[in-house]
Amino acid sequence: MAISALDLRRTPRRAGSRFRPTYSTSLLTRRRRRMGLVLTLPALVLITLLIVVPIGQAVYYSMTEWNGVTTTWIGPSAWTQAFHNPTMWRVLENNALLLLSVPFALGIPLCIAVLLHQKVAGWKIFRSIYFLPTAISWVVIGLVAEHFFAYSGTLNSMLDWLGFSHSHTNLLGNESTALIALGVTFIFSMIGTNTMLFLTGLATLDPSQEEAARIDGASSWKIFRHITIPHLTRFIQLAFVITIISAFSALFSLIFVMTGGGPGYSTTTMEFLVYQTGFAQAQFGTAALYGLILFIIMCVVGVFQLRLLGAKD
Amino acid sequence: MADVVFERVTKIYPGANGVPAVNDLSLSVADGEFMVLVGPSGCGKTTALRMVAGLEEISDGTIAIGGTVMNNVLPKDRDIAMVFQNYALYPQMTVAQNMGFALKIRGVAKAEIAQRVGEAARILRLDEYLDRRPKALSGGQRQRVAMGRAIVREPQAFLMDEPLSNLDAQLRVEMRTEIARIQRLLGVATVYVTHDQTEAMTMGDRVAVLRGGLLQQVDTPQDLYDFPANEFVAGFIGSPPMNLILANLDEGQGVTRAHFGDQSLLIPEQYRSTHALAQWIGRQVVLGFRPEDLVADNSTTDDLLRARVDLREALGSEILAYLAITSNTDVVLDALPTSDAETVRKRSRVVARLSARTDVVEGSLITLGLTTDNLHFFDPNGGRSLRVLTS
Amino acid sequence: MSTALVTPAHVATPPKLTPRQIRRRVARAVLLVVMILVAGVMLYPFVVMLVTSFKTESQYLIGRGSSLQSWKDLNQTLPIYQELLNSTIICSASIFIVLVVGGAAGFAFAKLQFRGSNVVFLTVVSAMMVPLQAILMPEFVNMAKLGLTTSYFGAVIVYAALGTPFSIFLFTTYFRRIPDELIEAGIVDGLGYTGVLTRLILPMALPAIATVTVLQFIQIWDDLLVGLLFLQNPSQRPITVGLAALAAGRTTSIPELLAGSLVSALPAMLVYLGFQRFLIQGLTMGIDR
Ligand SMILES: Nc1ncnc2c1ncn2[C@@H]1O[C@H](COP(=O)(O)OP(=O)(O)OP(=O)(O)O)[C@@H](O)[C@H]1O
Ligand SMILES: [Mg+2]
Repeated sequence: MAISALDLRRTPRRAGSRFRPTYSTSLLTRRRRRMGLVLTLPALVLITLLIVVPIGQAVYYSMTEWNGVTTTWIGPSAWTQAFHNPTMWRVLENNALLLLSVPFALGIPLCIAVLLHQKVAGWKIFRSIYFLPTAISWVVIGLVAEHFFAYSGTLNSMLDWLGFSHSHTNLLGNESTALIALGVTFIFSMIGTNTMLFLTGLATLDPSQEEAARIDGASSWKIFRHITIPHLTRFIQLAFVITIISAFSALFSLIFVMTGGGPGYSTTTMEFLVYQTGFAQAQFGTAALYGLILFIIMCVVGVFQLRLLGAKD
Repeated sequence: MADVVFERVTKIYPGANGVPAVNDLSLSVADGEFMVLVGPSGCGKTTALRMVAGLEEISDGTIAIGGTVMNNVLPKDRDIAMVFQNYALYPQMTVAQNMGFALKIRGVAKAEIAQRVGEAARILRLDEYLDRRPKALSGGQRQRVAMGRAIVREPQAFLMDEPLSNLDAQLRVEMRTEIARIQRLLGVATVYVTHDQTEAMTMGDRVAVLRGGLLQQVDTPQDLYDFPANEFVAGFIGSPPMNLILANLDEGQGVTRAHFGDQSLLIPEQYRSTHALAQWIGRQVVLGFRPEDLVADNSTTDDLLRARVDLREALGSEILAYLAITSNTDVVLDALPTSDAETVRKRSRVVARLSARTDVVEGSLITLGLTTDNLHFFDPNGGRSLRVLTS
Repeated sequence: MSTALVTPAHVATPPKLTPRQIRRRVARAVLLVVMILVAGVMLYPFVVMLVTSFKTESQYLIGRGSSLQSWKDLNQTLPIYQELLNSTIICSASIFIVLVVGGAAGFAFAKLQFRGSNVVFLTVVSAMMVPLQAILMPEFVNMAKLGLTTSYFGAVIVYAALGTPFSIFLFTTYFRRIPDELIEAGIVDGLGYTGVLTRLILPMALPAIATVTVLQFIQIWDDLLVGLLFLQNPSQRPITVGLAALAAGRTTSIPELLAGSLVSALPAMLVYLGFQRFLIQGLTMGIDR
């Protein structure tokens, strides 16, 4: 009746050979790590050389005066000078005003997404149509928008047709209204993307939840307010971030074809100012500085957003 | 073909604060042997297996396959085949491509691959499915493809990590015999991981029981069942598991008795020689007996057990009666701290496996016969068996 | 039909609608009207481009008549074939780099963790937040000094660098969903990590590759700023840049400009309509579950 219960027979380890954890890395682990490094290296090099290093260079540039031929070191005072430059504040004001379009760029797509989500016959065709403008360049949208808002454009034809011939508009030609035309075009351009986001969000909504609420006698509005919107929170946040980022850094094409930043500075935003300063006025240093200010603003927005997300979790 | 030998193998995961997942494991799997690693979740079975495969580094000790220490050998050079719990079939390949992939990598000629895959498919009854993709297969078929991928390799050893746990109960029983059949057919050393003791008992030539990274016992299924080395193995092997109750031993008029609650049990003479009971007279031990040692007909057995029926489970072929054996300990228990009371209570609950026609009523008091041929005694501290080793 | 014949009474008295059903039907009708109106707004640019492109400048001004003139003259105003070709070359080359570099890194971050890989991942992914304008000046100077603004190459690697962070993010998210066991099965079967990547992961990555391709294609095809600055040679201009330059000049006839717009928009629209699914996947990657 031999019992081979190992733990009973085992001789205790000698104190001297007391086991020490070695964490020796196996051949396979070493291969894995090496491969990991090798595969990330190209991305690392590309991003370092074309994004990280230029940020450093931009900081240097921002403290010089550079007219394309000669470079003069100015130092940190370049920054204080910039903050005393009324043009920059004028342009930042435009950026701030453009933020007023954000609620529309979110609200309208939200309504459209809810409409689509009712899934009336043919809703998939409507979905494709609504998303179609996301495919085309903002250069093209800008071109069309320019002819919509122009003095002899569609907007005024529509006003004629409605019998408001005396109130012809010239939004783009007017310093006080050009930004409105730009903002409206921006909202139009964001509709596709944001609708797409919200619709995806709605698709992940559990219909049984809504049914249960309906059986409990909740009104459609209550269901929307207390079930749909909370469910969409993450999608709304993402859309918010994308919209803000676009408002700050994707309007270049629209401005370039619609207004060229004018009249005056009325439609120049920070990103367009970078281009103008750098390439129309050949002030590389100042342009780099403006670029960095734009970057800082976007970082602040990003951090703010992270805080928002963090507070929710 | 070869054997697999663990020599004082320890695994400490980085970040585990030095707590070993496998602790000083020595185990040898003979050539052609079907070795089952069994134990509760988190006991280190998968870790042990993955170290053999070379997917996890060995913190200390050595693992040898066919006499060669493999600690620093890449998985592909160890000549082992592995079957994963979720099968890990390549989704973009057909069944035949899945099975032949390893051979293709190793540069085996196309004709030979086709021949070996065909053979494996025949053994596994997969012939009809060779051109399908894994997505279009049932769970059982996928499982067999995973097996097929292993056997076409004709490796030194098979490693299988809970290969049946994703199957439904009936299929599991079917595949259990199927895998055992194939393993015997091929005669390749196999390390098979499961947390299911029934699988372990039915499939293994030998079974290694692990707990918290420590090897508890390695034995043939029958020896494991008959001679558990400690309370843990006793409670783990068998379904329902062995009954373990706390009892006090005393000796008077030349006989040893075990007292629990207001009952007592005469310990037959034979245990004096096989177990170290003498040192335990006047002390508390854990007394163990199997559910089938309790019988309804109490006229022929050596001893009796009175108990209250808490729960009756009729399984058709038999009845499982869950009993509370001591009526007056409940009062005492209230005085104990909760966790201790819980232990004592657990150790005063027993299960009886009774024949289907037994008249058992929940809530009633019954007197069952207890066969005392197969009693087990364990140290209440640490749970070691009090059996004397005679090897 | 046959039921109606058998039970003519049923035809005579159609089932009465309850007020609730009536409300529902009215609501559906209103919904449909609203949706059609919205569709009209969203299709407006396309309708304008299409209609206007079939007019001459004067027809456009008076709002009547149609002509093929602007389509005939289009290639003289805007070298569309050359510019479409340029766009295609630049898009393909940049997307190729983004796929190779981003896919490899995504696989590494998801499955081949090495010491510090998480920090590197975060750094790389946060490069997504850097707007081109922030680095525009030094980037331009660097490229000009290296003489890369007179070849496709400058614009191509700028696009690649700008597209890589997001594609890494997307690939990493995608690859993280592939079970580790699959890779381990490959390794036990005899693959090295290179083999795992090329023979197991690559065939499985097709949806992610499609998503990145579509997103990048639309992004790069539609972009203006990089093309405007980093392709100084007019013969290498992509179509979007050519169009914007014409528009900014404000001398071209509007119908011709809109005909050009339509041509430039067509490829992106086709890609979009064909691969809508992948675009949506990409936009919502990581938050759809
Ligand atoms: N990669 C890892 N890093 C750190 N700890 C780990 C890792 N893998 C496993 N462990 C720990 O090691 C111990 C043993 O894990 P293992 O997977 O071997 O258990 P198991 O016996 O296979 O369990 P199960 O039956 O649940 O599969 C567990 O406590 C587990 O938490
Ligand atoms: Mg396991």
